[in-house]
Amino acid sequence: MAQLKNYDIVTPGELLSEEGDGGNGTYVENGKTFSKYFGMLQVNERGASVTPLTGVYKPREGDDVIGQIVEVSSKYWVVDINAPYYTRLDSRDVNFRADIDDLARYMQMGDLIFARVFRIYANHAADVSMRGTKYAKLPSKMITKIDPMKLPRLIGKEGAMINLIKNETHCEIVIGQNGIIWVGGDKEQMNLAISAINLVESEYHIPRLMEKVTEMFENVRRKI
Amino acid sequence: MYEERFDKRAFDELRPMEAETGLIANANGSARFRIGNTEAIAAVYGPQEVKPKHFEKVDRGIIVCKYDMMPFSVPDRAKPGFDRRDMEISDVITNALSRAILLKEFPRSMIDVRVYVSQADAGTRCASLTAASMACADAGLPMRDLVAAVAAGKIGDSVCLDLTKEEEDFHEGGATDVPIAFLPSKNEIVLLQLDGKVSREDLKKIIEMGKLGAHKIYELEKKALKRRFSNES
Repeated sequence: MAQLKNYDIVTPGELLSEEGDGGNGTYVENGKTFSKYFGMLQVNERGASVTPLTGVYKPREGDDVIGQIVEVSSKYWVVDINAPYYTRLDSRDVNFRADIDDLARYMQMGDLIFARVFRIYANHAADVSMRGTKYAKLPSKMITKIDPMKLPRLIGKEGAMINLIKNETHCEIVIGQNGIIWVGGDKEQMNLAISAINLVESEYHIPRLMEKVTEMFENVRRKI
Repeated sequence: MYEERFDKRAFDELRPMEAETGLIANANGSARFRIGNTEAIAAVYGPQEVKPKHFEKVDRGIIVCKYDMMPFSVPDRAKPGFDRRDMEISDVITNALSRAILLKEFPRSMIDVRVYVSQADAGTRCASLTAASMACADAGLPMRDLVAAVAAGKIGDSVCLDLTKEEEDFHEGGATDVPIAFLPSKNEIVLLQLDGKVSREDLKKIIEMGKLGAHKIYELEKKALKRRFSNES
């Protein structure tokens, strides 16, 4: 497949090379390399690799995520972080002193938290932790979900896109690497921020997205 | 004798096809596939927590598939709900997909595949399987290959590709319907059923013809998936 080049979109099962030299997102069968995902191809001297363009969040150690408490037990909380599996937050891994057997006093079912994935087990189970000053329970404002594969586009180059949205709407925005985004601020401004985020999600593959978002903010300002 | 097809197609010609992905916002992946008057819509949710919990496998993920015909899909109203035929087709779709999806990559989780047939004119299990495999790829699941499925068969004395309902019910000489599903780039058969009577030699001819049709469907599937991320649209 000599005609395949960098940034080509490939589908599962597409032949990438006649040698078994695949990287991430590929598999080798009978000495040939095939794509495993519907994604974007990257070729370098070490071989081909494929980055998926869609898909659910896969927890990795060190990710900062936003999760929702789904269960309170006597010694831990069960947290839904938008991954295939629920994770656990132990009562020892929080940045306040938690008396066990009464954990619902601190965080209840439905509460949102900002936490870090700090351990992945061999069976893909994960633990989250809230140790550190930047992790906290989030007040109930608005959240929105976007595809985690599209997050780099929402953040932009060195945070350009997200800073644009923050400055235009004067909202606080917290991004979890699992694709959950927490927005806090004035009610109308929150709606505006969320519609900007949705615009980025729906049109994330087009070039010059910044201009389009700026245009949207200008249109809104003209109406007011 | 069956010398010319009812809709004037060639014997190895498929009905006009149409494919589209990413149409259901709440699903992780979705696809629509239409071939002639048969149309299937598939949605994939997951991988997610297994419910009920005792279905969980510690070494691999599981697929839960639900196939259903919408009440208005056939001339006589189809009773909504899961009947014996739906159960069988859900099972064959699950078996075919579990050969295509690399289930070992996400142990202890479940993929929920839902397929609805909004219009039926024979070959619904093939259309459903094609739509389901596109939806799985759209959901970002690791797969060995896409599945391309087509019905082939024998009507009277002639081997035909992609039968319609009218042809399936052909009386003079009898009609045989063989739904086949392939992993086209691996040349593997993942579904083969037979309804009717056929000799060994004819079955080989039918499978060969199905393979030709499956490759055409495969090209369309790839085009439909790639169209979502092209800048021209």
